[in-house]
Amino acid sequence: MDSGEILQTLGNKYSAEILDATDEPVSAQELSDELGIPIATCYRRIDELTEHDLLELHDNILSDDRRRIKVYRRNVDEVRVDFDDELTVHIEERSEVTNKLDEAWRTLSER
Amino acid sequence: MIEQTKTGIEGLDDILNGGIVKNSTTLVSGNPGAGKSILCLQYIYNGVEKYDEKGIYLSFEEDESDLREAAESLGFDNWQDHVENGDIKVYDKQVLLRENDFTSSLDILLEELEDGDYDRLVLDSLAMFELFFENEKEKRTYLLKFTDILSDSGLTTLMTNEQGAVFPDTEIGLENYLTDGNIYLIQTPTDTGVNRYVWVAKMRKQNIETDIYPMEIDRGGIDVHQNASAFSMMSEEESPI
Repeated sequence: MDSGEILQTLGNKYSAEILDATDEPVSAQELSDELGIPIATCYRRIDELTEHDLLELHDNILSDDRRRIKVYRRNVDEVRVDFDDELTVHIEERSEVTNKLDEAWRTLSER
Repeated sequence: MIEQTKTGIEGLDDILNGGIVKNSTTLVSGNPGAGKSILCLQYIYNGVEKYDEKGIYLSFEEDESDLREAAESLGFDNWQDHVENGDIKVYDKQVLLRENDFTSSLDILLEELEDGDYDRLVLDSLAMFELFFENEKEKRTYLLKFTDILSDSGLTTLMTNEQGAVFPDTEIGLENYLTDGNIYLIQTPTDTGVNRYVWVAKMRKQNIETDIYPMEIDRGGIDVHQNASAFSMMSEEESPI
């Protein structure tokens, strides 16, 4: 992945706020409401972040009015920018143990 | 009728009115030396010997050889045979903490669970499992998810927990609320040695005897006596849980 591109994605308005708010799975609408982001922008940012593996589609949950809603969760715990040699962005992914348990648990509800 | 999994410890199954609720997770709490691991070994061993149910033993605390020695010292002579032919699957601390990382073991375990060959599982100890999570919220969330996964895989689980039942002001850990059952193993020093007791404080979905019963640990493992001890004068309302 191009480091500059990741930095650019992270630097876009609301990107950091979205990652900060997606410790637990959250829908686009909730992000828009809670962070005051216009919904169209919210979707665009989610697409960009997902494309760069910073955010992931976590699940399709059923809403109160029985619609499927996509919820997203961040995929990273830490991002480090290294200028020492050449520009490198290190991405520390979320703990694998929690990811695997999430994954296994998600397949339960699909059975 | 709720299906039950027998521990195979006669007195304990009586207190439980038959056994542990199938596919549930029970926390076995007690101070070091109270007999938690012995209860767990016995539960897994009896499963194979008496009920033709295969078991998985996850130990963050001991090596496979320690477990074997412990089992054999209790007179569970066929332990090693069962391990070798796969009726008892041991994941010891060497395996679980390989590469300082629980992830790869979790992969193997989850795959194993999907195959659904096993009926009983022991996790020794919950405290070690919780180290893989960063904060209370994560611990709570993932303990619930893990118990869901175990239950869905058809496993009846015992998890050990280093926590004494000190009357009257027992500190109740969150784990006690999140699991389906709570069994406490209690030891009190006496002039001549130690008195041991077992207390089933909670078992969701079924009636249990909530008195505290005396028990012994000897060759053959835990033996629970049916005459309720002096503690039994404590009424249910006063029970700290």
